[in-house]
Amino acid sequence: MQNSEELKWALLIASLAMLAMAFCMIAFVMYYQKKRFEEEKRINDIEKNYNRLLLDTALNSEETERRRIAQDLHDDIGTMLSLTKLSLNQLSKLVANSGDEKEESIMKKSQSLVEETILHVRRITRDLVPTTLERFGLMEAIEEFIHKLEEDNNLVIAFQSNTEEFPRQGQKLELTLYRIMQELVNNAIKHASCTKIDIVLEIDEEMIGLRVTDNGVGFDPEKIKESNLAGLGLLGIESRLAIVNGTVQYEQPARGGSSAIARIPVNPASGNKPEPLHPFRRERVNI
Amino acid sequence: MFDSHFAYIVNNPISSIAVFVTVLPLTLTITRKAFLDKSLRLLFCYLVSKLIIDIIMLHLASTRTNNLILYNLSIPLFYALLSGMFYFQFTGKAQKGFVLTSIVGVFVFSIWDIFNSNENLGDLNEHRLVLYAKTVEGVLMISLILLYFYEIIKSLQIPNLLTFPFFWVCSGLLLYYSSLIFLAPFLHYTYTWNNQTDLGITEVIPSIFEILCAVLFSVGIYNFSPRKYAK
Ligand SMILES: Nc1ncnc2c1ncn2[C@@H]1O[C@H](COP(=O)(O)OP(=O)(O)OP(=O)(O)O)[C@@H](O)[C@H]1O
Ligand SMILES: [Mg+2]
Repeated sequence: MQNSEELKWALLIASLAMLAMAFCMIAFVMYYQKKRFEEEKRINDIEKNYNRLLLDTALNSEETERRRIAQDLHDDIGTMLSLTKLSLNQLSKLVANSGDEKEESIMKKSQSLVEETILHVRRITRDLVPTTLERFGLMEAIEEFIHKLEEDNNLVIAFQSNTEEFPRQGQKLELTLYRIMQELVNNAIKHASCTKIDIVLEIDEEMIGLRVTDNGVGFDPEKIKESNLAGLGLLGIESRLAIVNGTVQYEQPARGGSSAIARIPVNPASGNKPEPLHPFRRERVNI
Repeated sequence: MFDSHFAYIVNNPISSIAVFVTVLPLTLTITRKAFLDKSLRLLFCYLVSKLIIDIIMLHLASTRTNNLILYNLSIPLFYALLSGMFYFQFTGKAQKGFVLTSIVGVFVFSIWDIFNSNENLGDLNEHRLVLYAKTVEGVLMISLILLYFYEIIKSLQIPNLLTFPFFWVCSGLLLYYSSLIFLAPFLHYTYTWNNQTDLGITEVIPSIFEILCAVLFSVGIYNFSPRKYAK
């Protein structure tokens, strides 16, 4: 009898120990799984941030490089051209005095060539660095861009916005929107063979929307991505947006053409820093 | 006519609850359409057969007939159904092969064990519980579950275990078999039909965990959603 009593206890203890082990096992699996997942997620986040940083740096240095080129053009070639123009002016007086018709006409031609070159250099520097954007904001910059395009293209470009006064945004965000608009419009001109482009800029409390619609041949972004047709343009749009948490969406309206909508969370210009934005600052700019 | 049944249920409340609690996961399987999943379909078969066998055993017990043959025969059946679930969960060939061989192995072994434990098979009245088969079943089930846990941890494919039905099923089974594994070999000696040595509380533990197991099954099945499965 004594034995069976002991046996009972032994059995009870063994069973309870086994159960405790089972409980621990289940708890351990749950805990370990959760920890591994958190770790995995952390690594993913780090990787994502790192990629973003890389992209950011690449775009930053592109922008800095543009500024450097623009500044060199402006300072070196621009100055030289001004000096050349000055010298030519003096020379032209001498030539005028001499009264030779032929010399005078050559003189006129050289002067107008230099004049034209100066204009070209100025245009190129302004294209390289969107000074209007930095001084006056998105609306003015887009209007200027459209204006220039309409001059030498047979195109109607319409621009609408849902506000009169578009609030200034962070420098990086404005530049992103501007470059995206540039690429979308350039694409429409290059590929769509359209006659009309609509640009719509909308802002509400949270989001800024930029919509560019053309009435051209239209395209399927999925197919383009798959078929390696994508140039740097569409990819660039996506990587620029990734940095500012934006998204882009392409649509094919029923009446033909194509439409692209980029959406970016608003990020008003930080503080009230009225620091004048010199277009050709040498130091590294944080776009 | 059901007087004896009621008397039996009142005398053995916990093991009777363990019989009827099976209805809970069963209904949940039907309402949540859990049988869409292959593993949970096998679990459904297991629950149905368990309910039927348990009710027959309860009936026989309350009419004082020896029901142990049913218990013995249920061992290979239950093992086949339960480990079959793991067959669908494992991805490796080796594990699948192991599951299939173990099903055949347990079948052969428990038949042998029935002959081994009963000198005179014809005498159903004196039928006794198998000696080793239940323990072997328990050991194999526990190893399958641990193997499966290892796979879960290794593959990292389930983001949230708490909403993953099969994890609950495994936990329930692990607890049930853990509570049973030390007791099983003694049942052969204590559960002879005429002379029941009382093991006290130890005897009730498996029934308690049978109930807990059914509850965990229910939680798991409740977490099943056909939409997620379709993905
Ligand atoms: N508005 C559009 N209408 C029709 N097709 C378009 C339009 N925009 C883009 N595409 C198609 O998508 C392709 C990819 O455009 P993407 O801007 O990425 O490259 P790209 O313009 O050819 O080169 P890049 O922009 O690098 O100079 C284009 O080649 C063109 O076929
Ligand atoms: Mg392009």
